[in-house]
Amino acid sequence: MKPPLASDHTPVRTWLRRVIVAALVLIGIGGSYAYYLYSRPHRDVVATAAEEAVDAADLVNAFLTDEAGANARYLDAEGESKVLAVSGTVARVETDLNGQPVVLLLNDAMKAGVRCTFDPATAADATGLVAGQQVTLKGVIRAGAAYDADLEFYEHAVLEKCSIVQL
Amino acid sequence: MLRKPLFLAALLQLTLAFAPLEGGKYISRAVHVEFFSSTPAEDIRANNFAVTGTIDPATGEVVFSVPMQSFEFPIALMQKHFNGGDFLDTKTHPKAKFKGSLQNRAAVDFAKDGTYPATVVGEMTIKDKTNPVTATGTITVKGGTVSIDSKFPLTLADYGVSFAKGKPSTNIAKTVEVTVKGAFNQE
Repeated sequence: MKPPLASDHTPVRTWLRRVIVAALVLIGIGGSYAYYLYSRPHRDVVATAAEEAVDAADLVNAFLTDEAGANARYLDAEGESKVLAVSGTVARVETDLNGQPVVLLLNDAMKAGVRCTFDPATAADATGLVAGQQVTLKGVIRAGAAYDADLEFYEHAVLEKCSIVQL
Repeated sequence: MLRKPLFLAALLQLTLAFAPLEGGKYISRAVHVEFFSSTPAEDIRANNFAVTGTIDPATGEVVFSVPMQSFEFPIALMQKHFNGGDFLDTKTHPKAKFKGSLQNRAAVDFAKDGTYPATVVGEMTIKDKTNPVTATGTITVKGGTVSIDSKFPLTLADYGVSFAKGKPSTNIAKTVEVTVKGAFNQE
């Protein structure tokens, strides 16, 4: 039987070991936190409750009458803008280049409509919608309605990750 | 007896005279814009399927209006950085604008099916900065639909996208590649 190595237990070694362990723990925590931030999923808009219910015509008018005010009210600085439940009349259903259905809420009294791009999880629900139907759709607002002098027409408001709240 | 055909012929001529030969603007409200940044650290792609654009066959004017918050990134954190104040400040500047003109308009026959090479020169406004941009690509006319496919580089520093702070400077390319695809129709 060999005697234990006395050097393993000198105060300097113990101190050094503690510092190394503490450093590794800190690196681990920092790395984990960085990874947590990096890998955090997108907000699940479909599963998020609407923060505000609004009529499609009122939403469009809010942007047409006070663009800066409406941007401040509805848009978020990091892009996590308001989840809205928007009620209106279906004008048509199209498919975008991503293969997702886009429902346009618009009637004759409105200068611009609300384009609602459905989420892959809810896309199938949009196929049943027909022109003239009254619906309430929920989605995240990406941009408001606006008159564009270069396009020479009114741009619709843009809602994405949409789902049907009420038929 | 001859009056009716004459009247009809006159009406037809009038109609033709008032209908411009090439018709109105071609419009799309669902143009796809992708940008691609490549660095040794990582490749980043962001896609936007909600861009509005017009092509005027009579003047060759091309306009795009881009809702900036519609760009989607694979990583949520990247999307937040993109929208945030250090990058594109999309709450204050929710839309980017491109306005240009088709340089070889005479070579593109909007009334005839075919694929035509295209060069568009214009100005891009992102945030509050405007810079000249030249984009090349193709215009494909088929059955009244005008499709475009174009790629061009965009230098982020031209638009005040700061690399002053930490990580993004090594992970985001100084110049990103922008791809634009869309199908336009006369309304």
